[in-house]
Parts: sequence; structure tokens; C-alpha cells
Amino acid sequence: MKGAELVIKSLKDKGVQYVFGYTGGAIMPVFDEMEKQKVFSFIMSRHEQGAAFMAQGVSRASLTTSNPQIGVCMATSGPGAMNLVTGIADAGMDSVPIIAITGQVPSGVIATDAFQESDVVGVMMPLTKQTYMPLRVDQIEESIHEAFHVATVGRGGPVVIDIPKDIQNQETAADYRFDPIAFESDLVGMLYSPHPERETIRKAVSLINRSERPLILCGHGIISANAGDSLKQLAEKANLPVAFTLHGLSSLPVDHPLSLGMVGMHGTVESNWALLNADLVIALGMRFDDRVTGKLDDFAVNAAVIHVEIDPSEIDKNVKTNVSINADAGGAIQQLLRDPELISKPRRLWFEQIETYRSEIVDEIQEEIDTGVGKEGQLLMKTIVSKLSKATGGRDIVVADVGQHQMIVARFYNFQTPNSWFTSGGAGTMGCALPMAVGVKMVRPNERVWSISGDGGFQMNIQELGTIMEHDVDIKILLFNNGYLGMVRQWQTLFFDGRYAGTPMKNPDFGKIAAAYGIPYQRVAEVSEIDAALAAAAEHKGATMVEFLCDPSEIVLPMVPAGGGIADMITSLKKKK
Amino acid sequence: MTSTHPMKRRAILIFVLNRPGVLNKISMLIRRKMYNVETVTACRTHRPGISRMTLTLYEDSDDKMIQVIKQIEKIAEVLSAKELDVDNSFWREVAVIKLEASDSLMERLGSKYNFEILDRQENEVFIIQMAGTYGLIDEFMQQLGEGKIIETARSGFTAMEK
Ligand SMILES: Cc1ncc(C[n+]2csc(CCOP(=O)(O)OP(=O)(O)O)c2C)c(N)n1
Ligand SMILES: [Mg+2]
Repeated sequence: MKGAELVIKSLKDKGVQYVFGYTGGAIMPVFDEMEKQKVFSFIMSRHEQGAAFMAQGVSRASLTTSNPQIGVCMATSGPGAMNLVTGIADAGMDSVPIIAITGQVPSGVIATDAFQESDVVGVMMPLTKQTYMPLRVDQIEESIHEAFHVATVGRGGPVVIDIPKDIQNQETAADYRFDPIAFESDLVGMLYSPHPERETIRKAVSLINRSERPLILCGHGIISANAGDSLKQLAEKANLPVAFTLHGLSSLPVDHPLSLGMVGMHGTVESNWALLNADLVIALGMRFDDRVTGKLDDFAVNAAVIHVEIDPSEIDKNVKTNVSINADAGGAIQQLLRDPELISKPRRLWFEQIETYRSEIVDEIQEEIDTGVGKEGQLLMKTIVSKLSKATGGRDIVVADVGQHQMIVARFYNFQTPNSWFTSGGAGTMGCALPMAVGVKMVRPNERVWSISGDGGFQMNIQELGTIMEHDVDIKILLFNNGYLGMVRQWQTLFFDGRYAGTPMKNPDFGKIAAAYGIPYQRVAEVSEIDAALAAAAEHKGATMVEFLCDPSEIVLPMVPAGGGIADMITSLKKKK
Repeated sequence: MTSTHPMKRRAILIFVLNRPGVLNKISMLIRRKMYNVETVTACRTHRPGISRMTLTLYEDSDDKMIQVIKQIEKIAEVLSAKELDVDNSFWREVAVIKLEASDSLMERLGSKYNFEILDRQENEVFIIQMAGTYGLIDEFMQQLGEGKIIETARSGFTAMEK
């Protein structure tokens, strides 16, 4: 068999159903074989970065379905592979397993600056969990199978396989055999079997039992382990309030009585004040990112810390722990639950305190939501998202881009469905939403998918409207147009005396763009029109787009200023010191 | 790594699968952590396919050392990584030195230091090989007196715990 055939065979053996990509000279043999065999759906993106985010959408969204998939993207050598880089780096930062297969110039001319040659392995190595360059046809299957193993074992992440064109065309020897079922990787560094000791679990339980002011921080690890139910049991059994990191959202219904909503830079007041005043932080599947902790010197100074984390190198990295459990979050929670010593306590004072925190700005925010327009008379994003949340009951999937609109969705959408929230967190890559939503929709075809972008990020991968048109991808695109790179503008308002350097933007007629792609479009400028527009979008079969004219003066609050501690949180501009 | 220079020399011992790119990954990680690698040595072991690396750098904080080691351990091809117990290890280096010295000086040095003469040219130019601790080799080079060093090649540390 030819190398290219083995590539397709390996993907088939791995159960791959969707491949996203863009062709070019050095990957043509693989594309040709794909066309001959037709064993999966191929979706051509309009830019390789789009393909990487589509692959992410598949991996992220299918995790909780009966048919978990690993997203695969493909590109040609040189510029093709380089265009994948941002999407792959993003997957690394957010622990999303994806596979990228790139064509490379023929092995004989590697490292000679041949046409469209880039050092893909060299570039990708620090961004991925592993990179491969098979230099003989008989290494292809092994590399791809190992790549899937590495991408998914422990903490997920991207893996790249860079295949020289001559190897794609090479024929296997007559005695070539590869058994995909018996194959086992010898990459010892990836094998890990963290079995928390009974004693460690007991220590954690005793800290929980003693705590008067505990707080669970639920991270992405709960989503990745599909452990929302376990988390709910633990929180309810031991009566523990839960705050969520950006990627922990949608682990539990966010209006669960024990939920305090999102924590961190743009978290809720109640979760941030609770974190500041807790005597015990129970961190589950998260890595104490600086957007969560604020200034580390001031973080949880009065709290004991229990850290459950699958990646041992995250333990004691940013925050010193009292008890660390190096395990999959789901398994560790089950062990905590099985411990007969674990008790429930009323913690009345603590919950009363949390209620007080919650009430601090709740009226002010509700008032803004009800008014619906900002200082310049245009729509407030929080009003739109609140209405979307009501209209959908919080049950639909939302994919958000990066910026103010993202933080506002995270804050004001009432997440009900497990694993229904997708965005770029660790990297915060503008432009992620539109392509990611395409991947999400492929693997969750029966759920409604809203893709929410700002006017800046939307234009970073706007070309994927072509993919959406071609494949009739039924996503509801909401464009929050405030004429600015809003989140940066917000920092300029608060910390740069309102000098708006490089943030105002002259935008195109988005209606005409939608029309060019045959996508039905609505434009909403009035509060009174929001509900009807959302309802029409929801009911329409197929892609549709709604542009909201948003107020550039809206500020996402609360906000823990970058570099500050949680105590420096700005909760209201009226009260700003 | 910070503006004040860390003083404490550390050694990390790493066993890896002998696959392409491993050394690159480890050195990239160390660079990301903004260390300047002092010395690095790598060699095969008696177990086929497995190599041993010894790496030295300066770092005062124990916590930071633990972090670096955990991140090294995360690399797929790394079998194990640990910090060497400096006080309980043998640290050795090999030096090959080309020098100019009179026969009588060579004789005097020979009585004090253990080295092997690999090559001797007419004009009192020698190539010698010497193994020992870092300090011993340094000391030897300082003790040359009227002799003159032309070129030195030092292997970098390798070490073994008691
Ligand atoms: C690729 C990329 N470039 C730059 C940034 C920095 N950045 C973060 S948010 C933001 C503004 C986003 O503007 P827009 O998409 O209009 O959303 P808004 O904040 O206005 O809702 C920028 C420039 C980024 N996150 N990603
Ligand atoms: Mg904007």
C-alpha cells in the first residue's frame, strides 16, 4: 500500500468522521486517496486556521456524546501548515485533543529551503504534545495511531504529523504488517496512572469537613472528564458552593442553588469575594490561570487548598497546595464521595455572607439590563444575552469569540446543558467562534448552536461564511457590533485615560456580506426588536445572522484589573475608588 | 533567571527514549523557563534505546526546580527526571588540553596530577587528557605556571549518586 492510503486507513481505523482542511502540492497524494476512499466527510475551510478551530469544535463538543470524536485537520506544507499554527497553539492552551496532518516537501530536499518548505516540526514542537515526521512509509500508521493516543491520554492536547510527499507516495514492502488493535505506544512519559492514596483522600475529606467557608473551583477538567454529575453530588452531599472558571461553565446548571457563577477577572462578585474570604479552596480540574487568581501573592492567603488535577506539572505551579490529588477530576470526586467520613454542614453564616456579596451589584446590573441601552443610546450586550438566555432557556449551545461579548455571554447566559459552552480561553484567540461553531454543529446536529462574535473577531475568520454556505451549516450567528475592539477599548477607558489607540474600526455593510453568502440577515438597533429577531433566527432552518448595534461605552464589570489581586476588583464604576 | 543572579548550581538527571528531537524539547523548555544551561551531557546507557542526560543550571528556589523537573517529566519521551543530590554525587568531567610546556614542567605536573599524554609534538606542544572534578581540572590549568594553554575541550559534567 501507498503511504497516502495508510494515512486514510489509519484515520478510518480511528473512527474519524470529519476532516477539515485545505489542499496544496505537498498534501495532494493524501487528498487524492481521500477522494478515492471516501471514508469520512471532508470539509474544506477557507483558511487553515479555520480548519484547526473546526477540528477543535469536533473534539470539544463530541466529548459528552455517545460518539466522542477527535477532530482532524489537514494542510499542505509551508504556508498551509503555518496557517494552522494559531489554531493548534490555541488547542494546546485549552487542552483540546486534535490531530493535524501536514504535507511536507520530499524528504530528499528537507532543510534546503525548498519551495513551500517550513520547519513544521520545529515550529510546532513547543505548542503541541508531540510531533511526528515519518521518514519511511512503514512509520505512518504507527505515528498516526500513537498521535491519537498521545493527544487524548491524560491532559488532552494537539499532535502534529508532518509527512514528506515522497513518503506519501512510497509503497510498503510485501511483508509490511501493522495491527491497529494490538498497537501500544512505548512513550512512557505519557503513561500515567494516578491512583490517589486513601490517605490523601482522607486528608482532603478532613479539610472539607472542618471548613466553615469552603469554595469549589470547577475547571475545564470537569468538562473533559464529563464529571458534572459527580461534581453535583459532591457539592450537594457536603454542601459546598461552586464557582466556575471560564471553561468550567456548563458543568452544572449555572442557576443551581450552590452555584456562584464564573470566577476570575470578569467573574461574579459573589464568587470572587467568596474566593477572597474562603478558608478552603477545592480546585477541581483547573490550573490557577492568572485570569482566575489575580495577583498570586494575594491569592487565597487565608485558605487551605485542595488541588485535583490530571497534569502533575500544574500542581504547586502557581498556588501551593495543602492536599494535591494527581488524578482525573471525575475519578477523584468519586473517591471523595465514597469516603464514609465526608459530612454535610449547614455553614449558614457562609451562605448568608455569599448572599450579601451577591446582592452588592445585582440591582444595578438588573437595572442596566432592563434599560437595555448604554450611554450612547445603543444596545447593551448584557441585555441581548439575557434575552437570548430567556428565549433558549439556557439549553442551547453557545460558542463565543474573544472580547467583551465573550465575557458577557459567560456571565449572563444561564447554562443548563452539560458541555454547551465553547470558546477560546487560555489563548483567547479572536476569530475562534465562527469556525469552532462549524465543528460543534457537525457532532451535535440536533442541538441549536449560537455563534457569538464581536465585529473585530468576526472579521478575523469571516471567510468561513463560505464553508457555512457550502455545507449549509445550521448555526445562528450573532454579531455584536460596537464599532470597536471593545475589550481593549474597555482597558483604555479604565487604565489609559480614554485614549483609543487602534480600537475604533470602520466596518463593512455586514448585511451585504451575509447576502453575498446567501445567509438570511437581520439588523437590530432597538431593544424592542431583540426578542423577535432571536425568535426568527431560532426558528429558521439553516444558517442565519443577526447583527446587533451595540453601545461602545458598555464596560464589563466586575473586573479584577490585570496584575491586581481579587481585593482590587472593580464592581461598579459608580463606586470606583 | 531574575535580575539577581541565582547562586546555587543544580544538576538534573534525565533518562529519555533515544528518539529524534528529545534533546531539542528539553533545551527548548529550559529556554522557555529562561535558564541559561551551564553544561549538558548526553550518552547512551547499557539499556538499548535509552539515553542519559545530565544538565546543570543555576537556581536558588527549590519550588522552581521542582516545577522545571515536572515539566521535563511531561515530555513524552522522558522516562524520568530528578534533581541530583549534589552533596552525595560524584561529579566528573573530562578535559582534553593542548598546551605548550617544557618537559621538566610536564614532569613536575605529572607527579601531582593524573593525566595521560595523547600527543607530543617537537616544539613542546602536548595534547593531554585529564579526568576529574571540575575543581581539579581548573586547578591544573592554573598551576601551569610558565606553561601556556593553546586550546581546551571540556566535556561538561556527568554525575552519579552514591
Ligand atoms: C488574534 C487576537 N488578536 C488580538 C487580541 C487582543 N484582543 C482581545 S479582545 C480584543 C477586542 C475584541 O474586539 P471585538 O471582536 O469587536 O469584540 P468586543 O470586545 O468588541 O466585544 C482584542 C483586540 C486577541 N485576543 N486575539
Ligand atoms: Mg467590537
